[in-house]
Amino acid sequence: MKKYVFQRIIFSIITFFFIITLVFFLARATGDPLAELENDPRISPETIQKIRAMFGLDKPLYIQYIDFITNMMLKGEFGYSIIYKRPVMEVINERFPYTLALLIPAITLSNYLAYKIGIEIAWRRRSKIGSAILTFSIIISAVPYFWLALLFLYIFSVRLGWTPIFGAVSPGMSFSWSWEWFADYLYHYALPFTVLVFRSVFSYVLYVRNTAVDILGEDYVNVAMAMGLSPEKVKYDYVAKNALLPIVTVLGLRYAFLIDGAILTETVFSYPGTGRLVFEAIYGRDFWLLQGATVILALSVIIVNLVIDFLYMFLDPRVRYR
Amino acid sequence: MMRIESYKELWTVIRSNKLSLTGFIMLIIIVFIAVFANYIAPYDPYQRFYPPFQPPSPQHLLGTDDVGHDIFSQLIYGTRISLFIGFLSAVIGTLIGLLIGLFSGFFGGAVDNILMRFTDMWLSLPTLLFTIFLVAILLRSSQYPMIYGIILAIALTSWPSVARLVRSAVLSIRERAYIEAVKALGASSTRIMFRHILPNVTSILVAEVVYRTSYAMLTEASLSFLGLGDPTTISWGMMLYYAMVRYAVVLGYWWWFIPPGIMISISVLSVMLVGMALEEYFNPRLRSRY
Repeated sequence: MKKYVFQRIIFSIITFFFIITLVFFLARATGDPLAELENDPRISPETIQKIRAMFGLDKPLYIQYIDFITNMMLKGEFGYSIIYKRPVMEVINERFPYTLALLIPAITLSNYLAYKIGIEIAWRRRSKIGSAILTFSIIISAVPYFWLALLFLYIFSVRLGWTPIFGAVSPGMSFSWSWEWFADYLYHYALPFTVLVFRSVFSYVLYVRNTAVDILGEDYVNVAMAMGLSPEKVKYDYVAKNALLPIVTVLGLRYAFLIDGAILTETVFSYPGTGRLVFEAIYGRDFWLLQGATVILALSVIIVNLVIDFLYMFLDPRVRYR
Repeated sequence: MMRIESYKELWTVIRSNKLSLTGFIMLIIIVFIAVFANYIAPYDPYQRFYPPFQPPSPQHLLGTDDVGHDIFSQLIYGTRISLFIGFLSAVIGTLIGLLIGLFSGFFGGAVDNILMRFTDMWLSLPTLLFTIFLVAILLRSSQYPMIYGIILAIALTSWPSVARLVRSAVLSIRERAYIEAVKALGASSTRIMFRHILPNVTSILVAEVVYRTSYAMLTEASLSFLGLGDPTTISWGMMLYYAMVRYAVVLGYWWWFIPPGIMISISVLSVMLVGMALEEYFNPRLRSRY
């Protein structure tokens, strides 16, 4: 077990370095960051030299790489945002909690619902309702997040006026530990959260269902049935329980998938999270902001994956006693 | 390649499932629209009409957008780019995955270990986020996102699952007697891999390319929606991007933002359904699932 824990931690660290290295080399591979300035006749070569020295761009590539990593990890420096005119880390720090507050409840609820629905429709796979839900979930997995968000925004905010059109709190509302703030926050939270959960539940139901259907075909399920166990017992103790493991395995992928959903959903609802920040960075051509948001979101994926690996250890005795 | 009987069997599989049949018919219609877009669209999609923001009328079936483009014509032309980017990036992504899966499965040992850890790393990352990042990087050396840059970016983030699939198939094929026989005859690794193993994984690849196409179409739409589409082309995602930044939703111009979404959903769905039918055809074990 110790070996397993150790392995997972090492793998997470390697993944983190892999991402940082990838980001660094991709960002550098596309050319000199100061190429734009060199074309500008108003800037003398000496000034460019000075800027180069200021940012350490005159050093060899491997030193730049080491600088890049130490700046990121030790000082939390991700550069300077062009659109916000503030350090990238400061902007992300403000925004990330909003995204996390969307993602964690969304992944919990959507996985729970998808699990319940998936097992149920696998159990009744020959019934009308079973195949109707299956068809519906296939259709929903083809609908893009952002369009669903636009549609919900149109129906519930614009047409019905039930929910606000943008933001995480009303304009002018500043954060305080009060019911007033919390109520206003929930009022804004409801719709983006619903879109995220709705879309991700149905894109996942198919997977849960197929997993459960495969388990239904296993011999031990037949034996259990033949032994005369009640259908309820077979469903919950034999099928649902065994379907849990393959589902936990893809939990990390689900989180990553939900991040993609959050980027699109937050963009539509102008929700001030890290996902919307990605859009703003694209819109404002703010590369450093995009890079910062990418690294932070990827880091959160690594941490979530590590947590899931440990969760897996408690669920699967084979891993625990290895 | 496939014999006539196989086509017949494929058709039986498609016909036996109402969903597959619907998907198949829808895909034919969509491909037809893409090919004959210039005959079907009533106007040149770049032609500007006055006034902009027109509601639907007999002249403009779905009205006009913020600069006076006929939305219906743009919708028709959008089919082309969606299928083109989707299919091409799926093919490239599948080829990358195929190569990595082949090498990993065939050589095993350290090669397998390293390649699979690398694949797992890619697989665990948020796909759209990294595609955005890749496009943004390409963007720094050009004025606007180029269509081939977008295809490359989507391909580079879509291969890991293909690599895993191919690898597990190769692992089982590798153990078969005929591979041993070929080895004993002194065939080189490259020959065994491409001549004797590759033909046996093509069936997986066909279904996978179709599946990847549907995902790539969704990714392309998402990229365009976030403002990373090639502005010299017309895509459904980009139509929705302009609709969003020009407040079409808040202003209630449903004819501007509803049709592109329906088109994306229908075309992605049809490709997905055909993919499912192909998967069932090549893997009869799955047929019992439905």
